[in-house]
Amino acid sequence: MVSRVLVPMEDSEMSDRALEYALEVFPNAEITALHVVGEPSQMWGHATGLALADDLEKAAEEHAKEVFDRARDIVADADGDAELETAIEFGHPARAIINRADDYETVVIGTHSGSIADRIFVGNVAEKVFRSSPVPVVVVR
Amino acid sequence: MNAEPLLIVGILTAIFVGYNIGGSTTGPAFGPAVGANVITKVMAAGLMSIFFFVGAYTIGPQVVTTLGEELVTDTSIFTLRSNVAVLFFIGGALFVGNYAGVPASTSMTAVGAIAALGMATGELNWNELGEIAVWWIVAPIIGFWVAGVVGRYFYPQINAWIAIESKDEGRPMVSIDRSGLVPRLQFGVDADRREITGALTVVAIGCLMGFASGTSNIANAIAPIYGTGDVDMVPLILIGCAAVAVGCFTIARRTLDTLGSDITNLPLTAAIVVAVISSGIVVSLSWIGIPASFVVIATMSIVGLGWGRATRTTTLSDAARGEETRVSVGALTAEAEGERSPEIGEEDVEDIPKASDLFDPSTTARVILMQNVVPAISTIGAYFTFRFVPIFGF
Repeated sequence: MVSRVLVPMEDSEMSDRALEYALEVFPNAEITALHVVGEPSQMWGHATGLALADDLEKAAEEHAKEVFDRARDIVADADGDAELETAIEFGHPARAIINRADDYETVVIGTHSGSIADRIFVGNVAEKVFRSSPVPVVVVR
Repeated sequence: MNAEPLLIVGILTAIFVGYNIGGSTTGPAFGPAVGANVITKVMAAGLMSIFFFVGAYTIGPQVVTTLGEELVTDTSIFTLRSNVAVLFFIGGALFVGNYAGVPASTSMTAVGAIAALGMATGELNWNELGEIAVWWIVAPIIGFWVAGVVGRYFYPQINAWIAIESKDEGRPMVSIDRSGLVPRLQFGVDADRREITGALTVVAIGCLMGFASGTSNIANAIAPIYGTGDVDMVPLILIGCAAVAVGCFTIARRTLDTLGSDITNLPLTAAIVVAVISSGIVVSLSWIGIPASFVVIATMSIVGLGWGRATRTTTLSDAARGEETRVSVGALTAEAEGERSPEIGEEDVEDIPKASDLFDPSTTARVILMQNVVPAISTIGAYFTFRFVPIFGF
């Protein structure tokens, strides 16, 4: 019985589907939505913008708020009384997810994010997680 | 004189390149000012056109000479036909970069395309290319280092000194009052002195970047045509700048929100610091005739600024010093609430989110590498075109 599931989430339809899938397949598990902030961007503006914030944690929470709000909506819409935990990590998404995955039994992740620029600068996160995760990974398409 | 139709096609292609340059450089230069609602997009376009011209007219010719005469050993390879192809590769790279959201250095692309032409014909001046390439490595390192020092030691003071708040609605903070005989600047009614200083600083920084862009970028549009020797420098600069101005007033108004948007992810103070450092480097390089890779320089300055600030907490003594600075700034900006400083000794170091996690060397290297992809592809494409497509007659 899987009881702790990690769902890495970003502002994309694919990660919404990953969360929906996780809720459906692991209805009794404790699900943690993980959002990685300060990811690589075209001119590194994201990461530096965060690093210069007066309060790093608060700035990170603001960035993650939208994603977590939507995640909570998805959980509320789903059947069952699943509780959603949230977590924020910094830096490269794949590395951050793999670092955290140790504390969970399964990782449920969407296949890809949207833009060409993301593909180029960040790479395929799902693929990297799938290759290096210490725990089983479900890739949702 | 039977080549005249081709010369006109060449100039038209140069205009196309200039138009795209205007579209893509207004964003990084005036994005912060427009984003903070200090000036309107039209005013940004106007200022950009003016300062681009000033840069192009004063220092620009140095870079035009490098690209149009010194980079190749024999300027007769700048036939009207090959020029259209060179400019096509520069314009195409700009277009692809803009379309895919991958910023590409126009100067790198231009040097690449001209070097490809030189290589294919055996007329490339390797010494000149080497000198340019060395600066492409050294300049970003300088940017990183200077920004790193600023981020580590001076950023809080600068931040407190500039103190400008973004305004999301209402009238732009600075507008032109045309009711009198002489148009004059008008500031928002509720603006105090500090806000006015801040607003003017953001606008001045945009002008500085426009100037820097002019010194370096005009060559990318006109250098191959100048190399033919058919048209003089000044008329070419005027044509190029007019094309850039058209770009500023048309596509830039739409792309101001998207291009260079990553710079607008930065706090205004950071955008200003980055602009000053990278413009300074670009203008200096243009002065000695080196086409500068603005995108890479700006990116490394951004990385340096953030890294300098973030790594203040890596060691215990740094953390102590860093927190001290931070508290004093908090007092100045009246934003001391939520500061993490009190708990710093009470928490396990591992649990504190480390800003330095945001600056992983290999990830940064990937971003910089990817910024070189578009120029590299265009260079290789240009080389094979000139080497194997027979219409150029080489």
